[in-house]
Amino acid sequence: MTSGKKTKATRSSVAAARSSVVANKPKPWGTIVAVIAVLALAVTVFGYAYSQISDKNQREAALAKWNPSEENKDPSDQIQGVVKKEYKAGKHVQPTQRVGYDQSPPFGGPHDGAWANCTGIAYPKAVRTENMVHSLEHGAVWIAYNPDQISGEPLDKLTKKAEGQQYTMISPYPGLDKPISLQAWGHQLKVENADDERIDQFIQSLRRNQYTYPEIGAACDSTTFDVDNPPPFVTDAPGADAVPMDGGVEDQAETGGTPPATDAAPPVTQPSS
Amino acid sequence: MTSEDTGRQPRSGTTATRAVVLAVAVVAVLLLGAAVGLLIKLPGSDSAGTPGKDSVDIGFAQDMAVHHLQGITMANTARDKSTNPAIRQLAFDIESTQLEQVGRMKGWLTLWGAPEQSTDGTHMKWMTSSSHDHSSSSDAGRAGLMPGMATSEELAKLRSLSGTDLDVYFLQLMLRHHQGGAPMAEYAARHAGVPVVRTLADNMLKSQSSEGQYMKQLITERGAAPLP
Repeated sequence: MTSGKKTKATRSSVAAARSSVVANKPKPWGTIVAVIAVLALAVTVFGYAYSQISDKNQREAALAKWNPSEENKDPSDQIQGVVKKEYKAGKHVQPTQRVGYDQSPPFGGPHDGAWANCTGIAYPKAVRTENMVHSLEHGAVWIAYNPDQISGEPLDKLTKKAEGQQYTMISPYPGLDKPISLQAWGHQLKVENADDERIDQFIQSLRRNQYTYPEIGAACDSTTFDVDNPPPFVTDAPGADAVPMDGGVEDQAETGGTPPATDAAPPVTQPSS
Repeated sequence: MTSEDTGRQPRSGTTATRAVVLAVAVVAVLLLGAAVGLLIKLPGSDSAGTPGKDSVDIGFAQDMAVHHLQGITMANTARDKSTNPAIRQLAFDIESTQLEQVGRMKGWLTLWGAPEQSTDGTHMKWMTSSSHDHSSSSDAGRAGLMPGMATSEELAKLRSLSGTDLDVYFLQLMLRHHQGGAPMAEYAARHAGVPVVRTLADNMLKSQSSEGQYMKQLITERGAAPLP
């Protein structure tokens, strides 16, 4: 500051003398210092802004990783072990019918007209699969576990991920080939234990993901499904009269009511549900 | 500059220095301004483009909300009055899903500062190619009603029915309703500017067409046929 003032004073007083001889005379130190100060301030501000922005970008990138967006429609693509299949939506079967699903547990295909209530429900007993699949169509994630392998603390952990969480449900699935299996419409992930970080990633990526479930806005509340006494799981494999994967009411309409070939087969005794 | 310095005399040297100082000062101020500007913009308040007043996005959100709300009204009637579980369930599905979608569309309109419905009472102006190619003949007589919408008389008739008659008429009206809304959804799925609008429109198109198939089947099962 003082130097600046001094230089200024000097400069003005010697203005005349300077003109003639002083081509390479005293530099304007004051100005230089001032400019450096301004530059330093600018660098500080830019630096601060940059660090803030990059921090924010990093935090957002971490969150965005599992958050479906226009740029990242199916975040589950980044999760190792997810199985994806395309299924046609909106095909219904009767409460008395069974579907010959192609997967166990299934994660798409024809289903009962009544969807299982998925308003954050922990089903203590296994539920009829045809109802559970319909909830997936509404954007729910279904956590299925093998009751012989998962109980106690791991089960508590899993239950917390579903209970009270909209569009989530958990139920035992007898005979499951892995301890835990997660289902969303067209997506499945089987894991060994409840601490697997991919469980949360799967749920974040696919629950009500507007790019992956067929009926945006559909409800989890169900008026025709008795949540306190749901139709039970059927252990036996479906018989020959089961509705095939490409069956269901809509297809019958399209084929003009021609009965599927399997209908001609003698009905196999089927466990009453 | 140096040539100028030496070429000209005393005063020009000072002028040149001043010019340099001035230039540096200007740059410094600009830099400072940019830095401040950067700080102000920090919170990340990037307002993602709001669609224009005459955009497909706003037109679709307004008209489809109106269209949906009548579907909800019909579904409510069926859910209250039908005794058939399949019909009541379908009605609840339609009612809850469409109400949720109406909520989405009205939420967008609120954020965009647009009215909930078209202010001049006309519909589908946002579809430049309109629906002339589709069902212009059957829509011609329907003053102010969008394709697929039921008239007041039709709604009154629905309320007056019961039993299978009610179920069939509900299915017939709802099927026509779905089909009537399809061109709007199709147009928006292609031409809306905001990706989330295109996504919802496309989803409506697909889910309603498979729901339509299901309703056709329910109509046939009851020995009736879709409305002409």
